[in-house]
Amino acid sequence: MDFMTALPTILKAMTMGAVPILLAALGEVFSERAGLVNIGLEGVMAIGAFVGFAVGKMTGNLWLGLVVAMLAGVLINMLYAFCTVTLCADQVVTGMAINILAPAIALFGYNLFVGSNSANATGDQMASIAIPGLSSIPFIGNAFFNQTLLAYLAFILVPLVRYFFKHFRAGLSFRSVGENPHAAETLGIDVVRVKYLACIVCGALAAAGGAFLTLCYTPIYTDGIVMGRGFIALATVIFGRWSALGVLGASLLFGFFDGLNVALQAQFQSAPVMFFKMIPYIFTIVALIFFGSKHAGPKANGQPYFREQR
Amino acid sequence: MAKKALSPEERSERRMMILTPVVAVLLALIIGAIIIACLGKNPLEGYAAMIQGSLGDGAKLSKTLERACPLIFTGLCAAFAYKCGVFNLGGEGQFIMGGCATATCVLGLGLEGPAGLALGLLAGIVAGAIWGLLPGIMKITRGLNEMITTIMLNYVAMYFMEYIYKNVYSDNGLPKTIAIPQSARLPEVFGTHVGVILAIVLGIFIWYVIFRTSFGFKIRAVGMNPIASRVNGFPVRRLVLLAFILSGAIAGLGGAVELLGKTPYRLADGFGSGFGFDGVAIALIAQLNPIAAIFVAFFFGVLSTGGTMMQSVIGVPTAIVEIIRGLIIIFAVAGMAAVKLPKIKAYVAARQDAKAKKAEVNA
Repeated sequence: MDFMTALPTILKAMTMGAVPILLAALGEVFSERAGLVNIGLEGVMAIGAFVGFAVGKMTGNLWLGLVVAMLAGVLINMLYAFCTVTLCADQVVTGMAINILAPAIALFGYNLFVGSNSANATGDQMASIAIPGLSSIPFIGNAFFNQTLLAYLAFILVPLVRYFFKHFRAGLSFRSVGENPHAAETLGIDVVRVKYLACIVCGALAAAGGAFLTLCYTPIYTDGIVMGRGFIALATVIFGRWSALGVLGASLLFGFFDGLNVALQAQFQSAPVMFFKMIPYIFTIVALIFFGSKHAGPKANGQPYFREQR
Repeated sequence: MAKKALSPEERSERRMMILTPVVAVLLALIIGAIIIACLGKNPLEGYAAMIQGSLGDGAKLSKTLERACPLIFTGLCAAFAYKCGVFNLGGEGQFIMGGCATATCVLGLGLEGPAGLALGLLAGIVAGAIWGLLPGIMKITRGLNEMITTIMLNYVAMYFMEYIYKNVYSDNGLPKTIAIPQSARLPEVFGTHVGVILAIVLGIFIWYVIFRTSFGFKIRAVGMNPIASRVNGFPVRRLVLLAFILSGAIAGLGGAVELLGKTPYRLADGFGSGFGFDGVAIALIAQLNPIAAIFVAFFFGVLSTGGTMMQSVIGVPTAIVEIIRGLIIIFAVAGMAAVKLPKIKAYVAARQDAKAKKAEVNA
């Protein structure tokens, strides 16, 4: 295969594949900075994908679909927040419960919404907006500057999140909660409130990532549409060292391998394409093997916080 | 073995442990009923159809048992791993690889008869164990989070199975493998395949290993406190690796049994799909007790086979069953966490004290 001719295709697929992972991973950065490991991303994304699809289809307004999807994501993540913050339940176990419950709700809704009414099966897609001038740059122009508005927003979010954590008082209090909640509490930071806020942001962003899948990626919802992207986003956060810029780089890298898979499938149609489909998943593992240090990340990550405990 | 006397505190804790999942199931069923009622259907009729469709007669019961059988395996897989502090979400991948190895062994070598059956089961166990070993090695050498690696390996296994049933042993180009020859299938007893009995025996055996042997004690110790275990001289890393291998082997055996025992005796799209997560749910609801896991898996089987009947009788999508399942686990998780909260513990203790004092006064 001529790599240079395939490159624009790969890069286009890269940005498309990176956006949902990026959105979910940014949400997870908020969550983990506040000391909450949320492995329920996959489930929240499934809810976001379905609600975005259904509301977008019903109202004809895709942006409304996105907003309602984010609200639904927040709602389901509040369940996680209540269990882990208020009841101090095990975060991994709760996240797993969300992963089982949320796709079931989405599937049930899908069965009711589409069911025998196959007119509802295909939704609308957001249109791509080409930025004049920039979009005609060879190779990267079409990939980076001819996208849906949601994708642009996702990329714009990265410097904002970075700025928030570096320079805002609130961002610093988020980080202190993840590092040492007891010390944060003595400084007058309401740890429980910060954790709930983190869950709200995380739910909204992860659901937006899911909604991207149905509003910009494919026009249909299917059970299991998220295809492990929630877990890849978790890997992205580790790989990107819990920082917004790192997460951006990591998700573009994951997107690149997703794009490579798409390009290889198109190139070698007679080959067993399933091996190409394995690429993003195998790459995730390989990336973690080489760069997934266990000695990084917020110190109080994953531990329940008992206010009374000393 | 002498039964040790339990303090009142321990007894109440144990009662809570049994009570929480039961309450969770009831709450989930009630919410399920509310959802059904909101759709304008009769929930009682629905639940009656569910029981009728899963336990109504012998044939239905055996179908339910066969549906529960793979869930017992993946449930045991998750419970065993989690007892050692390993959160194995890869039950599905290990299950699928078990099925693939069995198919390769039986179809590829053209084996028939009991030899094919025995080698097929063995191949399943080995393949599952290897698929469990991989994330184990990654965890103990590089400290990788096994939740992510096992999930990624699930997708790799899924696509590998696609390769097997589309390219290697495809049935006339259709996306499914050739059926396992009649003579190499698991024999039937009481209308179900032997795998069901195997699963139940395995569950009891694992309960015995975990709670009644020194090996099981070490596994549990590592799960509760790896640092204390290491200080005690337990080979923590080796035990963790063993937990990965054994739990993978259990799931792999499940895949082999599913392929050799259940119609259509082939690999095809959807083989083993969702069984890994169901297994985790079962293990958590059963509070990691292997014998309880058998019952929870059976209950999940009832929900699954009964859900189809419920759909045809009252016209509610079968996904309602999955919602109920999801609610059970979230209630069970929340409930178990809630009873451990210091405030609630103190309240329960205070009530017990008051009760004891009352008894004293009365006496």
